[in-house]
Amino acid sequence: MFARLVWKLVRGSRGRLGVALVAVISGAAVISALLNLQFDIERKLTQEFRLLGANLVISRSSAAQTGVANQAASDALASPTLMDQSAVLGQVERLRTPDVVAAAPYLYVVARVGGAPVVVAGTWLDQTPKLDPTWKLEGNWIASRVDETQCLIGRNVARQFQIAPGGQLELSYLGRSAQLRVAGIIDAGGAEDNQVFANLPAVQTLAGTQGEIELVQLSVSGTSARIGAYTSRLATSLPGYDVRPIRQVTQAEGSLLDRTRLLIASMVVLILLLTALSVLATMAALALERRKDVGLMKAIGGPISRIVALFLAEVGVLGATGGLIGCILGVALARWMGQRVFGTSIAPRWDIFPLTIALMVGVALAGALPLRLLGRVKPAVILRGE
Amino acid sequence: MFARLVGESFIRNRRRKLLTAAALIVGMAIATATLTVALEVGDRMAREFRSLGANLIVTPQSDTLPVEIGGVDYRPVDEGAYLNEADLGKLKTIFWRHNILGFTPFLDVPAYVSQTGGSTTVIGTWYEHEVSVPDGTTFKTGVSLTHPWWKIQGQWFRDDAKECVVGANLAAKYPGIAIGKTLNVSPSQTAKAQFPLIVTGIISTGDAEDNAVLVPLSVAQDISNHPGQFRQLFVSALTKPADTLAERDPKSLTPTEYDRWFCSPYISSISYQIEQVLPGTDVRAIRRVAETEGTILSHVSILLWLVTIAALVSAALAVAATSATTVLERRAEIGIMKALGATNAIVTGIFLTEQLMLAIVGGAVGFALGAVLAGILGTSVFGTPAPPHMLLLPVVLGLAAVVSMIGSLIPLRRAAHFNPAPILRGA
Repeated sequence: MFARLVWKLVRGSRGRLGVALVAVISGAAVISALLNLQFDIERKLTQEFRLLGANLVISRSSAAQTGVANQAASDALASPTLMDQSAVLGQVERLRTPDVVAAAPYLYVVARVGGAPVVVAGTWLDQTPKLDPTWKLEGNWIASRVDETQCLIGRNVARQFQIAPGGQLELSYLGRSAQLRVAGIIDAGGAEDNQVFANLPAVQTLAGTQGEIELVQLSVSGTSARIGAYTSRLATSLPGYDVRPIRQVTQAEGSLLDRTRLLIASMVVLILLLTALSVLATMAALALERRKDVGLMKAIGGPISRIVALFLAEVGVLGATGGLIGCILGVALARWMGQRVFGTSIAPRWDIFPLTIALMVGVALAGALPLRLLGRVKPAVILRGE
Repeated sequence: MFARLVGESFIRNRRRKLLTAAALIVGMAIATATLTVALEVGDRMAREFRSLGANLIVTPQSDTLPVEIGGVDYRPVDEGAYLNEADLGKLKTIFWRHNILGFTPFLDVPAYVSQTGGSTTVIGTWYEHEVSVPDGTTFKTGVSLTHPWWKIQGQWFRDDAKECVVGANLAAKYPGIAIGKTLNVSPSQTAKAQFPLIVTGIISTGDAEDNAVLVPLSVAQDISNHPGQFRQLFVSALTKPADTLAERDPKSLTPTEYDRWFCSPYISSISYQIEQVLPGTDVRAIRRVAETEGTILSHVSILLWLVTIAALVSAALAVAATSATTVLERRAEIGIMKALGATNAIVTGIFLTEQLMLAIVGGAVGFALGAVLAGILGTSVFGTPAPPHMLLLPVVLGLAAVVSMIGSLIPLRRAAHFNPAPILRGA
């Protein structure tokens, strides 16, 4: 009987309920889309910050001075200390998490090209595009980290020595020399424009420092707290080494992330308020409309508690239905927004569904608060038409 | 008569009018606040990004290849080209001079420091230096603006004193180097010239400067015997994210496009203008910084505009819903008016006038509240309040009027088809 009455009520005023439903649906859609976006934005933004490149560097601790000095060609070069490749990279590999976007060892040597000094960096060239995503390349990347026959050169190096992709580069260092094919020219917009990049084994052979590296660069995504935790984990497993964040990158990243998150969060709260307001207004109107029905029910002997329950059930059904439909629309909206803003769609978060639906039912019931006045309804007055 | 009808309605239905006005005020306040923040956010975020430091590097054009590892140039002093310190004031004369937030010249000199017993890099720079600009003013700039993440323990050197700041690693390695001690710097081990410098602080940068000695630019010039010269200039400029126009070659632009490009603070147009005032230089964007800034800035502002649109739609819905409610509640009134012979036009006119008056009052109050709200938002997010945009007042008033009219027009149109008799009978 109760269910039938609710059903009749819903069917009986389809038009009015339709308007209320539209209000609930649109509110739920906007709220669930924004909540979805809010939960995902941090992950998206931390990924974007990886454009900045490496944010962690591992090097020999400055206190320990036991490494083999790299005798550079220029005596002006302060001798850096080298570290054991297998020990350090083993630990880095062991502690690798999905947050580590890229990691690569570096060994620098100042070699000569036809008498002129040039900085040669030995690294894993397959990691370079991931470690430095903003570099522009003319030619081809080198896909293998063991290819000892090819190299990449900076823009200024190419200009200085007039080398095009496919050309040959002859590097010499303390009597040793290496002949490399230039696979591509890098436009890095930084000091790297003046450097030559080759794979680590090739540079180690040239420098005569097999199995040794100067530093390791890592690009780690995540909030500053997570990067900090990863840094200290890495530091405890590498005693005697210096694991330090590149402060320029990490500091700016942290503050920008916080600000963006705060901004979006405060906007979401404001929109929540507005949506609640519009649903509230619609529901209040609906409740007032029902006065006549109440009068009739009271006149034929319905207890007031039951009448109120009846209407609350009606309103609750409305909130739940609208919330559910709105959630589905909202997920689609969030996907579209993600596509539009970040170029990749945002994964729907199902835990938003119960949250939004509960919120909508709550707001709808709050909107039905004027029903409380029903107790005061005098059937005779109402039915007379006043 | 018309005015009296409208006036009476306000006096008799005060509570209902207050409800509609409240919805209008809240809706419009939030619309104003989100619009104000959205208008401001690009500029604010761009300023925040300057915590990444310099985004442009100026180097001499006809230069030999710098032997640069980790930001320090290891070339001997007699090799390569130099730039003139005296020209630097011209940077503040370009079209986008106000967007040049700071610049710092660098001169890296390999030198002999007796305390380390070996060759150490001495970096000459400015901490807070007054540059005289050709228009007669002065501009204070230095590493505090272009390298804001450098941390100092103790004091920075004064730019006109014989003082220096040593890198953290160097200080840790040699116990003879500490704040208050004097460092003996000379161009080489055998050189007669000695430059005694008092250590005022220890710097940690997380980069190659940790192994170097930082000195005032004038001292480095004396050590290298290159008075009034430097090698590299770092510029921190406020820029706009690059779009398709910014990426095109300036030479291929039509005159109108060229004007638009020149008058937009793109990183490419700012570097072009710097090259014009500093001839013989090569100005390039530090792509890592510039591109990250551009991508994230444009994404955050698109996101914020989408959120703002969502806020506007919610505000519109809220106002329209309350307007519709008030009209629906007054069906009996409409019935009486029509029974007394009022035409649909008169009924609609009365209701719309009431809504319009409410919209103007509610919109204005909402705008004022919204400006306060935007100030709070701006303070909590960026530390400084967002100034109110008076331009938004007509926009918000218009929005309030249109939305509340549309909200009441829909039920009014339906009311036009009402037959007064059943309404008055109470059916």
